[in-house]
Amino acid sequence: MKMTKMTMSGALLALLATCTLTGCNKTSEAVTLTFLNGKSEVVDWIDTEIAAFETANPTIKVNQVFETDASSALKVDINAGDIPDITSVYETSLVNSGYYYDMSGLDAWSRVSGSIKELCTDPLTSKQYRLATNRATAGLFYNKDIFTACGITSEPTVWADFVSDLQKAVAKGYSGLYMGGSATWMLGHLMEFWGHGIIKESLGNVAANLAFINNDQTKLKFTGTNSPIKTFATKFLELKTDGVLNSDFLTASYDDQLENFATGKAAVISQGMWALSSIEKDNPSMHSKIGFMPYPSMDATLAPNPVILSDVDSGYSIMKASAHKDEAIKFLNFLWSSANQAEYCKLVSSPSAFTDVDDSDWSDISTVVDAALTKGTNIGYSSTPSGFGGGECGTLIQGLYIGDYTPDTFTTTYASDWNTAYTAANA
Amino acid sequence: MKLAKVRKSFSRAVGDNLHKWMILPAFLLFLTFVLIPLAFSFGLSFTSWNGIGKADFVGLANFATFFSDERAGNAVKNSVVFAACSVPLLNVLGLGYALLLDHKNSFNKVVKAIVYVPAVISPLIMGYIWLLVLKDNYGVIFTIFGLFGASGSYANLLGDKDLALVVIILINAFQYVGLTMTIYSAGLQSIPVDLYESASVDGASWWQKFLHITLPMLGPSILINIITNIIGSLGIFDLVVSLTSGGPGYHTETLSLYIYRLAYGARSGYASAIAVMMFFIILIPVLIAYFIMKKSNLYLNEDEG
Repeated sequence: MKMTKMTMSGALLALLATCTLTGCNKTSEAVTLTFLNGKSEVVDWIDTEIAAFETANPTIKVNQVFETDASSALKVDINAGDIPDITSVYETSLVNSGYYYDMSGLDAWSRVSGSIKELCTDPLTSKQYRLATNRATAGLFYNKDIFTACGITSEPTVWADFVSDLQKAVAKGYSGLYMGGSATWMLGHLMEFWGHGIIKESLGNVAANLAFINNDQTKLKFTGTNSPIKTFATKFLELKTDGVLNSDFLTASYDDQLENFATGKAAVISQGMWALSSIEKDNPSMHSKIGFMPYPSMDATLAPNPVILSDVDSGYSIMKASAHKDEAIKFLNFLWSSANQAEYCKLVSSPSAFTDVDDSDWSDISTVVDAALTKGTNIGYSSTPSGFGGGECGTLIQGLYIGDYTPDTFTTTYASDWNTAYTAANA
Repeated sequence: MKLAKVRKSFSRAVGDNLHKWMILPAFLLFLTFVLIPLAFSFGLSFTSWNGIGKADFVGLANFATFFSDERAGNAVKNSVVFAACSVPLLNVLGLGYALLLDHKNSFNKVVKAIVYVPAVISPLIMGYIWLLVLKDNYGVIFTIFGLFGASGSYANLLGDKDLALVVIILINAFQYVGLTMTIYSAGLQSIPVDLYESASVDGASWWQKFLHITLPMLGPSILINIITNIIGSLGIFDLVVSLTSGGPGYHTETLSLYIYRLAYGARSGYASAIAVMMFFIILIPVLIAYFIMKKSNLYLNEDEG
């Protein structure tokens, strides 16, 4: 009996040891990648792709972590020493601090259009620390039926015509320019496309981008004569005094804005293509009524042409600290396959950055958007200092709206807050 | 045999001091989530840390910046106004409810439960609920105004720079009045009935009994309510975030919200310095309130000792 017990114990011990060793062996082969994602609209799609990737690559697991404020989450991860392998977050301050892996050597670049590659290139090092799969476009959506009803026959290209058209819409009982002002990032876009738009158009995209990155005030000229910030503040207040902004400007949300546009109550909204699916969800027949145009020129001297945002969207970066870069590249190449990207373009209503992806039906209004891109100067996003992004700028615009600032004090406050944030971020 | 001996000595060692060991989990939690972050934050307040990378020592520079920072001054003002209005409001309403509902009957129990319910709801959720009620063009009240053809006279309270903070103060009072009421109710229950009986025999009026018996005997309840309300009010965050996000402009931005924005805006060192200042901004009124109450004729239990 005693012998049997000993034999059984020995056998169990051997079995346990074998299992443990086998497990150890498997653990050493299996790799788990962490992907920190900040784009809520693509979480489910990426999960589906991860499942397909893991089936094809059983030794690589991918753990998608979605964070609404992914930028802050990444900084917390960096401080905790728990850096993800891949992220959708791209910040100049992190590029300058050397946290991203140099992706310049990836084979995938041969499939990416030249203009997108240029936008993905860090102007200071001429290297690519992210690869963007799509092109983002933002401008002014307008309701063609409302324009027709108001007798507006052509899209306004200069400020005076724009305000005049909005007044016609208001006179007919519509909201002129409807803004969801409680979402301060949306107000920040007004500065981004109109105020900074003057700088980008007058300097050119590349020079402007460098000036923003280096906070070169000799070129940006936030204050002083012909300040683009003061021009913006002055013109913005005209919208208020002329009564062409929605009455609930300060408390309306992003959803309110889209709903008002989709239900035919708002004549014009400032948005990006990312909003299109929500608009069409609110009103499936809306696409035939949607017009899309660049932001009319605010400053006839410095930047006489209208501007439209044409920048990168859906960027992916590999972190320098990742111990599994090869596996990360393998996963990204899977995600970037032509078939997957064709599907993705429709999902995000955005044309592809890849030349071999069939994105012909990326949106119901793709021809309208393509036409709008030819009507204005194409500008990219500004490189804003961490701590003074669209949200912070939008809060200042709220203050301008309620009378806390005059165009002059708004300009000095904007410049001062920008400089403080820039100094802190680059300390 | 040996095992039994070990087990016995272990159980003796642990058993006699079990009550002390029971503190350990709570102490570890306190150490991990309060003391260490507190010490870390204090250390960071002397640096210019931007949230990533190296933290450079800057001495007292962050504290000097605090005193010249207009936005910080505005946040202090908003927090102090909020607390200065909320603390009396919560206590007057809480005490009022407690006195009104002091008699034990089913109706009072139901009313007490109804008044208390908002306190168990997350302040964030509470904020979003009120947002749906108050919102211009879409809110419940706006819709009701519309039913009477008066939607044009509805004021956008949360978008009004002078009224937004008032609205937050009232919603905060609505949420937490149940909590102060409960503490006052418990205090009222502990006042010996014979004190009131003696006073009645001496011909004291309701007001005299309230002033000379109820109020002094509620000393411990007043103390706990005032101090917790000061701490909670000066640290208000969730309600502000959900209702106005500090807006319009910076008109409802409180210290906590400003610290949060700075911490995630590449100014973590300065944010820590403001957090240290906030500690004193809260500590000072708490100490003042405590000493005023100690000097008053309130009956505080600790005086017995």
